[in-house]
Amino acid sequence: MPKLTTQDILKLIDGLRAEGFEVISPLRINGVVKLAKLPPGEAPLLDYIRINNSPKDFLLPCRESLYKYRSTATLTSYGLKIRFPTAEGPCPVTIMPECTLPKSKIAFFGIHPCMVNSIRYLDKVMLSDPADPYYKGRRDGMFIAVMECEEGDDYCLCGMLDSYKVPAGYADLMMRKRDGGFLVRAASEGGKGVLALINKTQEKDGVPELVPKMKEKYTFDSTDEAEIDRRDAKEYVELCTLCAACTVTCPTCYCGDIEDEFSLMDPANVERTRLRMSCQRKCYSMIAGGTTFLKTKDARFKWRLKHKFPFSERAYQLKGCIGCGNCIAMCPARIDFRKFLGRREA
Amino acid sequence: MSNELNPYLPRPANVTSVKNESLDTKTLRFRLINWTAPFQAGQFVQLLLPGVGEAPFCIASSQSDPKHLELTIMRRGIVTTASQYLRPGDAVGIRGPLGKPFPVSAFEGKDVLVVATGIGIAALKSLILYLVENRGKFKDVTLLYGARFPEDLVYRDEIRRWSEKIKVIITLSKATPDWAGLRGRVTDHLNEVELNPSTVAAVCGSPAVMTSIADELVNKGLKKENIYVSLERHMKCGIGKCARCLIMGGLLVCKDGPVFRASEIDIRAIGE
Repeated sequence: MPKLTTQDILKLIDGLRAEGFEVISPLRINGVVKLAKLPPGEAPLLDYIRINNSPKDFLLPCRESLYKYRSTATLTSYGLKIRFPTAEGPCPVTIMPECTLPKSKIAFFGIHPCMVNSIRYLDKVMLSDPADPYYKGRRDGMFIAVMECEEGDDYCLCGMLDSYKVPAGYADLMMRKRDGGFLVRAASEGGKGVLALINKTQEKDGVPELVPKMKEKYTFDSTDEAEIDRRDAKEYVELCTLCAACTVTCPTCYCGDIEDEFSLMDPANVERTRLRMSCQRKCYSMIAGGTTFLKTKDARFKWRLKHKFPFSERAYQLKGCIGCGNCIAMCPARIDFRKFLGRREA
Repeated sequence: MSNELNPYLPRPANVTSVKNESLDTKTLRFRLINWTAPFQAGQFVQLLLPGVGEAPFCIASSQSDPKHLELTIMRRGIVTTASQYLRPGDAVGIRGPLGKPFPVSAFEGKDVLVVATGIGIAALKSLILYLVENRGKFKDVTLLYGARFPEDLVYRDEIRRWSEKIKVIITLSKATPDWAGLRGRVTDHLNEVELNPSTVAAVCGSPAVMTSIADELVNKGLKKENIYVSLERHMKCGIGKCARCLIMGGLLVCKDGPVFRASEIDIRAIGE
């Protein structure tokens, strides 16, 4: 197992860039650790516990264009007028599909195993029949270098959900901190190829599994639908400010909205865009006429947990929660769903 | 990526005729330009009005004609209001057919009861047309249709034609004094239909009404597996990627529905 220094890591990243990857790694930006595009020459931040965003921001961006088309909307002195094209009219609707696929492949460098599990969950959702072409375009040929995690913070819960284990086929390089350097092993052919670029070869030796230390331990008795419905969430939702930070920072929240967007300067060019949507908002479940299915904060708080646990287990045989704890750490009221679903161990 | 493989891209269609059904409801007939939609009764499509947006609608025409689609649209939201201004010749985009249909082959040889309230009849029209066209395959077929005011009744001409082949019961809950027909809610008139344990029921209406009808039918001895409900949610993608139509039990209305057996879902939770 080759041991690398920070200089080797930089060489490795240059090697990835040379192969056409866009390297995305944790960086400290304005005092917070975030996943971002790594500027050339800069070293990635590999000694961290929590990142504020997740690979979702790159695989399912918060705003993406699905396609563009022309309508016959015109701006008149009394506002926007949308006239539908007619057989006699000059402008039949043409749909010009324009995909926002990136030119380079994505390489995630130094993400924790919990985030790798979130990519696996998004794959299950987005690549199940019929596959989402926009997600697939970004996902194909992706390179993942995993930084194994040694210790969680107050909000981590991957130890309870077993999401510190990297699923097979979801890592190209496995990295681990050791004596100021990094132990690196290749977990795929692609990873071996990248290691060969910096003249390091794979040596065969067994590596013990690294189980991150959890600061707080909880046990979940049951996470089925009836149990979540039965529990009283009053003390949790009372504090909720409906800011939706829990769903924005969640690496597996994939709910979306599709809207037509156009500029008032040129209202005829319409862009159909996909945006992210939060189940904590009332409009999430609103249908035409104003009927809302999730009326109360209580129902919406429980809905998020139901989508993460029983619904995902039923549809994809996978937990939707990967135990990163972002929804607790980013919540301004520190609403802790672990206390709601389980009990704390001494 | 080819356009045929992208499930988000709509395909072109033209409005061929517009029919006023009631004060706020119109039936639009679309001709599909160089493509066909081989749909089955109960499926839905996503209708794109250029510059306005997209909304899901159940197909309200016969599945024997896959080159034309009819949608009955009531003015409620943004897309439905804009659709009231469509004229013959206007171009729109259509995505579909999507969703799971009614399993009509399982209805064969049985009594069929179709219960619709309000604009819910639009979601069941393709099924009613199938039952009327293939009348010989089924035993007794009854349509129980409830609305509030006389002017809310839609498909008046069609219902007159259907009543020659199937039994039709119409009831109004807020009838005017000159209304000569039945009064009250649909649940008050379920006694007038002969129900046996093998009767198949298809129900569509507002969520609270569907719950009470399904409850009432179970009380009258129908099996939950034989009661079908057509649910409404604002599906955005229609292919199970946006989770906006997630319902109790983790089912997606767009992929697993919109037609569900009452045994698959919690009928009391339809309104949640």
